[in-house]
Amino acid sequence: MNASPRSPAAEARPRWPWGLLAPGLLWLLLWFVWPLAALLPMSLSEPRDRFSLAVAFTGRLANYGEVIQQYAPTLLRSLQMAGLATLIALLIAYPLACWISFRGGRFKGMLLGLVVVPFFTSYLVRTIAWTTLLADQGPVLAVLRALGLAGGLESIGVLSDGRLLNTAAAVVIGLAYNMLPYLVLPLVVSLESIDSQLLEAAADLLAGGFGTFSRVIWPLSLPGLTAGVVLSLIPGMGDVVNPQFLGGPNDRMIGNAIQNLVLVQRQVPKAAALALLLMTLMTMAVLAQVRRHGSRELTAS
Amino acid sequence: MSRIGARLLTLWAAVAYGLLFAPIMVIVLFSFNLPTGRFNLIWKGFTLENWRHPFQDTALTDAFLASLALALGASLIATLLGGLLAIGLSRHRGRGHGAIELLLVLPLTSPEIVLASSLLNLFVLLNLPRGFGSLLIAHSLFCLSFAALTLKARLGGVDWSLEAAASDLGASPLRTFAHITLPLLAPGLLAAFLLSFSLSLDDYIISAFNAGQVILFPLYIAGAFQREISPQIHVMATMVLLASVGLLGLGLGSQRGTGRG
Amino acid sequence: MPLSLNPRLTRRTLLRRLSLAGAAAVAGPGLLAACRGGGPSRESLVISNWPLYIDPSQDGVPGTVERFTAQTGIPVTYNEDHNDNDAFFAKIQPELAAGKTIPQNLFVTTYWMAQRLIDLGWVEALPFDAVPNAANLIPSLRKPSWDPTGRFSLPWQSGIAGIAYNAEVTGRDLNSMDDLFDPAFKGKVGFLTEMRDTIGLLMLADGKDPSRPTFAAAEPSFDRLEQAKQDGQIRAFTGNDYQDDLLAGNFAACVAWSGDVAQLAIEQPKLRFVVPESGGMLFTDVMVMPKGSASRAAVAAWMNFVYTPAEAARIAAAVQYITPVQGVQELLAKDPATKALAANPLNFPDAALEARLQIFGPLDPKEETRFNERFATITSG
Repeated sequence: MNASPRSPAAEARPRWPWGLLAPGLLWLLLWFVWPLAALLPMSLSEPRDRFSLAVAFTGRLANYGEVIQQYAPTLLRSLQMAGLATLIALLIAYPLACWISFRGGRFKGMLLGLVVVPFFTSYLVRTIAWTTLLADQGPVLAVLRALGLAGGLESIGVLSDGRLLNTAAAVVIGLAYNMLPYLVLPLVVSLESIDSQLLEAAADLLAGGFGTFSRVIWPLSLPGLTAGVVLSLIPGMGDVVNPQFLGGPNDRMIGNAIQNLVLVQRQVPKAAALALLLMTLMTMAVLAQVRRHGSRELTAS
Repeated sequence: MSRIGARLLTLWAAVAYGLLFAPIMVIVLFSFNLPTGRFNLIWKGFTLENWRHPFQDTALTDAFLASLALALGASLIATLLGGLLAIGLSRHRGRGHGAIELLLVLPLTSPEIVLASSLLNLFVLLNLPRGFGSLLIAHSLFCLSFAALTLKARLGGVDWSLEAAASDLGASPLRTFAHITLPLLAPGLLAAFLLSFSLSLDDYIISAFNAGQVILFPLYIAGAFQREISPQIHVMATMVLLASVGLLGLGLGSQRGTGRG
Repeated sequence: MPLSLNPRLTRRTLLRRLSLAGAAAVAGPGLLAACRGGGPSRESLVISNWPLYIDPSQDGVPGTVERFTAQTGIPVTYNEDHNDNDAFFAKIQPELAAGKTIPQNLFVTTYWMAQRLIDLGWVEALPFDAVPNAANLIPSLRKPSWDPTGRFSLPWQSGIAGIAYNAEVTGRDLNSMDDLFDPAFKGKVGFLTEMRDTIGLLMLADGKDPSRPTFAAAEPSFDRLEQAKQDGQIRAFTGNDYQDDLLAGNFAACVAWSGDVAQLAIEQPKLRFVVPESGGMLFTDVMVMPKGSASRAAVAAWMNFVYTPAEAARIAAAVQYITPVQGVQELLAKDPATKALAANPLNFPDAALEARLQIFGPLDPKEETRFNERFATITSG
């Protein structure tokens, strides 16, 4: 803790408080940056023996070719399911965020807290609860049948053989659910920053709710929206739990593949290659977001 | 905004909240389910028995305690390191600021499976045995990002000139810290700690890769899912939920208009 | 000794577990432990086993572990944390590969995993000199293919992988692997993630010999499985978790293990198990001692205890799998409550049934990799 001298020169050139930053930065460097950097040489290696996770660097570029060939369908499927889930979650999250920001008033904090509270239970127990909700004899299916929607949903492929559980639809539902807080929070940050006077002026000038929305609210909410997407889409692609518990054998995603490669097949280099591909996608998305909108919404959640 | 629009929006919000809490209601409800049968997935009847004997399944309880211990340790590390980072960042507003923030954000935007597998690879490389220690490192990592960013947000409204004023008035650095800095930070530190705690309890995939022979609550459940799902699992999940809500309420209550909850 | 399997036993009471570290206090008067010294009183035992694979303590009636501690005075930490062979292997591999010891003194694993461990040199020769009851091992398991010298493993239970079905959902009796591909059951069929059981059964249905497996011979079976998956015939690939799906009617039929279904049928009589006409897969789970295990005498005492026909009979009655111990069938036949069990060929295979059962043969490393990769693509790719 440094009490800085009050000379103008010193204040114009503030010193880096290294003492404060160093421990945290070191921790991040050691246990985040280093492992990720190590993915690259690891993806160009071969397993040292059949069962250990140790690898020997051989510069084996073929790993990438094999992995892409074998898992391209899975990668595509993961992107599709996570993308669909993000879209659905957005449809729910956006109006909710608007409601909290504009109608929340004094209770904004509590309302936001309520959005987050459900995720204070164990991820697994939550997903198991979803298996109950989406079960063949469960409430969701019962309601759909009662509303007469079952047939229609079957024809567009949402239901499979009258089931919701162990289908891709269930996985998408599970993914979308877990994305909700990551979408609502940055959106609220963005929407909050909209000056209320601006809103009033727009309402006066544009004479219509829709106009205000499309000209003012929507564009200004974009940073939060894209931040939420960045926080949801790529991590969603790598999800393991939802496909495993809610999906069928045709609905496995790239996260399951990586898990299987490491824990069952002991093929660390291929897993590293896949992980690196995912990370590259993620980094591109994050950089795009930061360049366009800055990091405020990303970090504020 | 038009009246109808406002009503529709409120309705939508209600539906959204209902959706958010649907699985939670299932969890709480099923903690009262009659434990006939092996799997607590079909409603059989109401009973208070599970709540009277929540720690009946000792293996489950042990796993739960292990998770609590891990969460405690990881949150302490994360809050400490994150706190230092946040203070440092909020005092210094220079050019490197953005880069450090980005570094903090990246673990949050990374798929957990990537964090999990890359950490495991590193541990293997370093010959670090997988167990409680490796778990502590892994958990403190993703908690660190959350803690640091949460604190940084809270510290946005903090007036650091108070510290300078105190030292001008002759207070020693220690007194300044104890009487000025710490009270300013306390609500934020608490919030960061609680957030880290919940995140650590919740984590599955990073633990699955790096736990070695340690059995944590989510890992026990994943194994248990294959042979039985006892109502005690739901009881404990509900307990965690209630505790989190309670603490959240505390945290919110102690806030004084530093923005969002 | 009266043996009873209470037909009104609910799962809940069967599953009430008491921690048995320091079980001496629970198991009865300490006098008993002190008087009957079976092994050195300072040794203790850490065992890892599959879940629900032993006679449990329920409603105050001591189970296998408690009776063992009462008789020998050796405290036991009995963990049911062996859920999956590969997952357990992943847990113990780092230490054993580095020459270090693991907490377990003894664990139960499936025959092919035991073979891998034996080949890797990670398990020790069992202390048979202190296990006179090992002579009770049935002859057919004495020098098995996975442990040719018979020195490194001692069978715990055997079982049959076959077809389980919910007669209420299927509306008819099933008897062939082809039934699992019946379009009438589309989306209601399950297969096991245990590769050797699933592919073994399919190979038998295909007329191939799984006791001498080659990837070329297995390929049509893999193709058939993959096609069924893509067609949406298969609802899920499961480990032990087929049980709740069977109970709930989510599965019309699935590949399953004989003992599990027998236990489930107590709750839901509509559940049936059948060995397919083309043949069933026999598996054996065995006890092994990891290298560096400290409590050789305690391990010997345990093995001797569970190979006493009376104790083995209790385990057999509880788990409903095939016991490896001779003399159990006679004991069970004497008690009216377990007479039906003693006469059930699924628990005590007669020659006719044995002729229809095969054990999946050993695979060399290259073949094993090909099998595993192809299977992984189908089940989790």
